[in-house]
Amino acid sequence: MSAHKAKAYDAVVIGAGNGGLAAAIRILQGGFSCLVLEKHDLPGGFATSFRRGRFEFEASLHELNDFGSPEAPGDIRVLFRELGVEEKIDWVRIPEAYHMITTDGAYDCVMPFGVQAFTDKMEQYVPGSRKSVTEFFELCEEVRNAQAYSTSVNGKTDPSYMKEHFPNFIRAGSYSVNEVLAALKMPKRAQDILNAYWCYLGVDCDRMSFLHYGSMVIRYITRDAWMPKMRSHEISLALETRIRELGGDIWYHSPAAKIATDGGGKITGVVLADGTLIPTRHVVANCSPHVVFGKMLDANAVTERMVRETNARTFSGRGFTLFLGLNKSAEELGIRSHNYFIYDTADSAKQYDMMRKVATNHVQATVCLNNAYPECSPKGTCMMYFTTMFMSDDWGNVTETDYFKAKDRIADDMIRVFERETGCKIRDAIEEIAVASPTTYARYCGHPQGVIYGYETGGWDSLMPRLMMMDEDAGVLPGLRFAGGYAMRSSGYSSAYVSGDISGRQTVGDLRKEAQAK
Amino acid sequence: MKFKKQIFGFLDMLRFTKLVPNRRAALAAGSTEPLPKSWRTNELARRLHPGMMDVELTAVRQLAPGMQEFVFRRLDGGAFPFFRAGQYISLQGIVGESIVSRPYSIVSSPREALAGKLALGVADAGFFSGYLNREAKPGDRFRMSEPSGEFHYETLRDKPQIVCVAGGAGITPFVSMARSMAEGDEPFSMTLFYGARTEAQLAYKKELDALADKGLRTVYVLSDEEKPGFEHGFVTAELLEQYVDPREVTYFLCGPQAMYAFVAGQLAKYSLPVKAVHKDATCCPNLALDAPRTFQLTVHVRDEVFMMPAREDETLLTAMERGSIPAPNKCRAGGCGYCHSKWLGGEFCIADGRDGRREADRKFGFIHPCVTYPLSDIEIDVPASE
Repeated sequence: MSAHKAKAYDAVVIGAGNGGLAAAIRILQGGFSCLVLEKHDLPGGFATSFRRGRFEFEASLHELNDFGSPEAPGDIRVLFRELGVEEKIDWVRIPEAYHMITTDGAYDCVMPFGVQAFTDKMEQYVPGSRKSVTEFFELCEEVRNAQAYSTSVNGKTDPSYMKEHFPNFIRAGSYSVNEVLAALKMPKRAQDILNAYWCYLGVDCDRMSFLHYGSMVIRYITRDAWMPKMRSHEISLALETRIRELGGDIWYHSPAAKIATDGGGKITGVVLADGTLIPTRHVVANCSPHVVFGKMLDANAVTERMVRETNARTFSGRGFTLFLGLNKSAEELGIRSHNYFIYDTADSAKQYDMMRKVATNHVQATVCLNNAYPECSPKGTCMMYFTTMFMSDDWGNVTETDYFKAKDRIADDMIRVFERETGCKIRDAIEEIAVASPTTYARYCGHPQGVIYGYETGGWDSLMPRLMMMDEDAGVLPGLRFAGGYAMRSSGYSSAYVSGDISGRQTVGDLRKEAQAK
Repeated sequence: MKFKKQIFGFLDMLRFTKLVPNRRAALAAGSTEPLPKSWRTNELARRLHPGMMDVELTAVRQLAPGMQEFVFRRLDGGAFPFFRAGQYISLQGIVGESIVSRPYSIVSSPREALAGKLALGVADAGFFSGYLNREAKPGDRFRMSEPSGEFHYETLRDKPQIVCVAGGAGITPFVSMARSMAEGDEPFSMTLFYGARTEAQLAYKKELDALADKGLRTVYVLSDEEKPGFEHGFVTAELLEQYVDPREVTYFLCGPQAMYAFVAGQLAKYSLPVKAVHKDATCCPNLALDAPRTFQLTVHVRDEVFMMPAREDETLLTAMERGSIPAPNKCRAGGCGYCHSKWLGGEFCIADGRDGRREADRKFGFIHPCVTYPLSDIEIDVPASE
């Protein structure tokens, strides 16, 4: 197609991932025009599915956090309601929280949803843990309330109001998960079991902010988790359909190549690889600042601040997933849990260290989807996906000619570890197999090094200061906001939808201010 | 409950107030090194999956009556992607007014591709293959997709011993698999049953015979000729049993539909699981209709709208190609999803057994034009070409 100038849009969203799709709906609901540019032939980014033989695999979603039931909705269900997509999707509830196993033989625990049930079960596994676990959840509740307040004022919190209403939140707010759990005098074994979710955030509990972890755990345990029946592709198409209903446009096979500026630091449009210019003054980037400031933005508009702030950040885990379609049912194979966390050690800092190298990483977060939704594959079959992450760029050492073998080696190890730890023999039942490596994630979503979790939220770059600096961070280039795993809320489905919601609404605010100024 | 870490709770509060200044300082202390343009993993992804490539035909040779080999190089002189032996590429050219693409299995080994050479064996059997066989010459330029498809060996799924059954031009993926095995990139041992009408119609016989001392066992099966050194007839269960234990192998089949049906009949008595037999996909054909109607097809590509006729017996993809719309496509069999498009209105039907859509695609109105026929005037939104 020849280069041409397209019609102008109030805002252009780069990337139809979870954050981009949510942002586009918010912009359209605000009454402004919006175009979504997507490099792939589908919406959703990681939120998609793919078919192999008689199986349709979930590409990435393990469980949607903070969704809740229709009667007691979580924040994400409420958001989906507001976006107008809740009813477009058929939902299924996840039966239990997690099954945590450590290969050193120390743990094999199945934890339920619900604070009472969770606390009771913990007391069974670790007698004497009840008091500290109860206090943990009380503290988490305050964290959740404080964050709800913070969101309601767009991060511009009143310190005296905070001190009065959320004193524990502030006192615990600067500490890591392990520091807080120790202060609560939680028995070590209860800490270990409670920390099982850490791999969902990709930072070990010595460095992960308690606020971040606590706010996630309480959402899982009190509001339980849900899944769309037709895999996450159903969510992505529901959002896509909503964009079209609201009059928005979405172009596939249309990666943004450049963000054009006027030379004075103002965005003037987005340019596609074939030279097509889409005039706009507002961009929501559902991709990394590394890609935006390193490749997309006009070189003369890239400031020292952009470079410093982007270089300062640390990439989070690079993803690896094995997908298996098995020709026996979960019951026949003896697979009883929906969601397994298998670690070598419950010491998350030590485990994190082992995850730096491909060769020493044997962690897996494994789902057997049929145990949440039995009809997800034909009768007499089941499907599983095994996910891990590499905490350094070690995968970058893989060569072309070793690529397929390298994928097989890790897949083989995942199957070996799962069989050994659960006693379920699955190898002979493999009918379909697919592997997504960091290379695959880099290919489909363009993320640096195949990172699937955005920037690490450890230490100084933890969730709370990110949220408190939301406005300040957006000041790096007026007219540009980020959504998705690299944005202020960090990675994960729920967080990505929320960042899209925030950046979409804030872009509407920017557009309204701009209209008033005229 | 009152949480305190320090004995005096105000120290905890003080620490909290430092979160923002600490982060501000850490961000400002970032390096001024220019941001990287790429990373090793992303470079590997680009080499393995370059998308559409501009290629030039460098050599043509006769393989058998009605079948030629076409060798390509990349216009930029670069390597072709390393791939899984058994995969195909989609070759795109311009024939008359039409932009036409067809999938062809790769004959070269993955290492040959890496060395910059990629060969296809194409039988004169249709619109584009006929054009290639009759008119294509060295120096001609085409576009080529990256290697794709799931018709390849999987170490963790398949048996160590594989049986490949080729019918006629269906030999091509197995030449690549045999070469790749000989080069040490595949762990299987391979017995190839290669069916043709006569010896003269066996393409790549010399190459396959040369691989005999590298572990390839080839059984030639001629239906119309009886000759020493060749089996006569078809690939029957009895024939298989002479060479392998039919229950202890994984099958790869590539050939015409009639061959698939015949082999399936022969294997029926072993009650093999689904996973034991892999069939290469075939292009979705035109429908055999006596008096096909012609409808109007409206196609949205980004902000452009095109209108063209669409025949009832041809897929929407074919209609777009006739209309010179470079609609994306790869497998033309309904499976790869690369032509995934939004249905906006009108009626359609999908070729039997070729609905490779995801569940939610059906719910929200998405189609694969490569296997979809119009039943009325119809309107769709397709992705731009790469």
